[in-house]
Amino acid sequence: MYNCSMANPDRFSLGREQAEWRQSGRTRQSPCWLPYAYGVGLVVVTTLIGLPLRSFIDPTNLVMLYLLAVVLVALRLGRYPAVLTSLLSVLAFDLVFVQPYHTFAVADAQFVLTFIALLGVGLVISTLTARAREQARAAQDRAIHTRTLYELSRDLAMVLDPADVARTAMNHIARVFRGRAAVLLANGQSLEPVLDSPGFDLDRDELDAADWVYEQGQPIGHYTETRSEVKGTYLPLSSTQGVVGVLGFQPAGPTGSLTPEQWRLLEAFASLTAQALTRIDLTHEARQAQLLRESEKLQAALLNSISHDLRTPLASITGALSSLRDDAAYLDETARALLVNTAWEQADRLDDFVGNLLDMTRLEAGVRKIQPELCDVQDLVGVALERLENRLEERELVLEVPGILPPVPMDLPLMAQALVNLLDNALKYSPSDRPITVKAEATGSELWLTVIDEGPGIPEEDATRIFDKFYRVQRSTEVTGIGLGLPISKGIVEAHGGRIWAANQAGGGVAFTIVLPDMGPQDLPIAEGMA
Amino acid sequence: MNETGLRVLVVDDERAILRFLRTSLAANGYVVFEATNGAEALEAVVRDRPDVMILDLGLPDMDGIEVTARLREWSSIPIIVLSVRDQEADKIAALDAGADDYLTKPFGVGELMARMRVVLRRLAHPEMEPVFTTRDLVVDLARRLVRVRGCDVQLTPTEYDLLRVLVTHAGKVLTHQQLLRQVWGLGYENESHLLRVNISNLRQKIERNSARSEYIITEPGVGYRLRIEV
Repeated sequence: MYNCSMANPDRFSLGREQAEWRQSGRTRQSPCWLPYAYGVGLVVVTTLIGLPLRSFIDPTNLVMLYLLAVVLVALRLGRYPAVLTSLLSVLAFDLVFVQPYHTFAVADAQFVLTFIALLGVGLVISTLTARAREQARAAQDRAIHTRTLYELSRDLAMVLDPADVARTAMNHIARVFRGRAAVLLANGQSLEPVLDSPGFDLDRDELDAADWVYEQGQPIGHYTETRSEVKGTYLPLSSTQGVVGVLGFQPAGPTGSLTPEQWRLLEAFASLTAQALTRIDLTHEARQAQLLRESEKLQAALLNSISHDLRTPLASITGALSSLRDDAAYLDETARALLVNTAWEQADRLDDFVGNLLDMTRLEAGVRKIQPELCDVQDLVGVALERLENRLEERELVLEVPGILPPVPMDLPLMAQALVNLLDNALKYSPSDRPITVKAEATGSELWLTVIDEGPGIPEEDATRIFDKFYRVQRSTEVTGIGLGLPISKGIVEAHGGRIWAANQAGGGVAFTIVLPDMGPQDLPIAEGMA
Repeated sequence: MNETGLRVLVVDDERAILRFLRTSLAANGYVVFEATNGAEALEAVVRDRPDVMILDLGLPDMDGIEVTARLREWSSIPIIVLSVRDQEADKIAALDAGADDYLTKPFGVGELMARMRVVLRRLAHPEMEPVFTTRDLVVDLARRLVRVRGCDVQLTPTEYDLLRVLVTHAGKVLTHQQLLRQVWGLGYENESHLLRVNISNLRQKIERNSARSEYIITEPGVGYRLRIEV
């Protein structure tokens, strides 16, 4: 195969292999006359083959050999060498095989017809085979074109980041077009080079050209508006979202230029790149929108929950107080006491809620730091029970807290709160005639604290979610209070480096377990320092 | 219960709190004076000669702790501090500055009255009775004897000293530092493990159940108090 502008004015090749041979063809500088020389040579060879046969075979049959040569040349070397071959064949046939030999004189006039037929058939064959060849080559080019675009779009489909899009496009262009590429992306109002192949000359003129392309949305370079001072070709990366960037191309060689088909392919590359960038942009926007929606949903849940838990007790208090104020005359002693007690209980609940909300906020904001000090486990349990004294009066309480447990480093006010929340949970979610058990034990170097109730237990799917903020097991509609106690306990325990979990008991009810690490005398010196 | 005639100074910048305290305290027989900032409070102590002071920690002009400290330079008037939840450090600071007790907002009148009775009890009996009794606990300070539920209890000298300090300030919160200083002496303020171990031992000896103390109450993060019924 030969690279000859005369034989193939629009010829260019794509793809790895093609680029390679194109490269090697160019470096070897394969001369344009070579196919013609092959044509001449083939005529000579045909003549030499026919020469020994001319005494046995009728010359008109030897014409077939020349036709074969013409077909071969047309098939392999193109149209014009085949035309030359046809002409030479006629002359060689006349000279060698038509009597008188070795002159162009023709003794028998019938051979004139043979000459004309040979020439005519030769020319027709040349044209037809050459056209077939061109078509085959065009088809091959289209296949390569398609494959190249496919490869680019496949690679672009896998990237998720604009910089990766730029890199992918750049690598493909550099490889396919044998040149240097640059990708400039819009950043706000201005255009910023994101990536360029080594050697890409991106000076002031080139940047100005790229800016112009970005602003106008029109390409600069081959086959378009040209600027003498600009070395490269710049195409806008346009999509439905507008121009998102600029694709730059500079041929590798000083004289390299783009053929119209290369230009079309480059445009297709730019279009694919722009699409990929737009897709990423839209995906990003969609994700942002989704995040926003989720955050809004959470905010809404939070506000709902807060307003419910603030307003419900407030409504009871306001109602009770307004009744006491406005209906004092109709209220008997019992009714008045009932209203007052309601207001008092609800105020207490409101206080609990606000306290929880503050605790949660402090924990999350990291305002309240853990200040560990060695504490007796009995003291911890005692403080928690003391705080719930009023509510625990009516409840049977089983305490399994041995006095021999070693002290544990902890932030007593916080850990007491964590335990209070578990006890509060047990009080709320188990029947008032069932006992609550508080158990403490040393397991290895850990303290295990367990609060066990004999309530209905937790549905399996809720076992971990109960520690989520504002989560409340659905069925217990009669229970009041926000779902903040358990998350706070979890936050406190984890801040101590411990663990907390809930597990349903075999006999019914739930066991909440807190595990605190590193108990034992080895911590004494540290804790002393902290006191 | 409305013939105490005791004078109480309420210091708070919240009008609603003032109004509620004024009403409740008056109903309980106290003569109420008011101040809405620290400077007024200091003046009012001189002018109105109150028997007890209820002091909010968050005042517009100066910190309640500072008011306490300034008052303590020349006055021993009982001070009950009002604080909001989770101000352990403030509570300790106020107690160490000389406040007698603290109440966490929000609080019920019953609680306030109980605290008032505790601090005023000491005002009424400046000299300690030689025998202290609360529920089933009897401490004979003259003979260094301790009886719980009718049985003598053997205490180490340190345990006894600790109990004695708690008893002499019965009902009042004592911070870790105050206890360490009064039982072990100056220089022991940071040896909190001594306090923890002795409190624990004392509880084992006098409490029925150490995890549900009847007498020695832990004020988490602040200190301890001997519970009394007044």
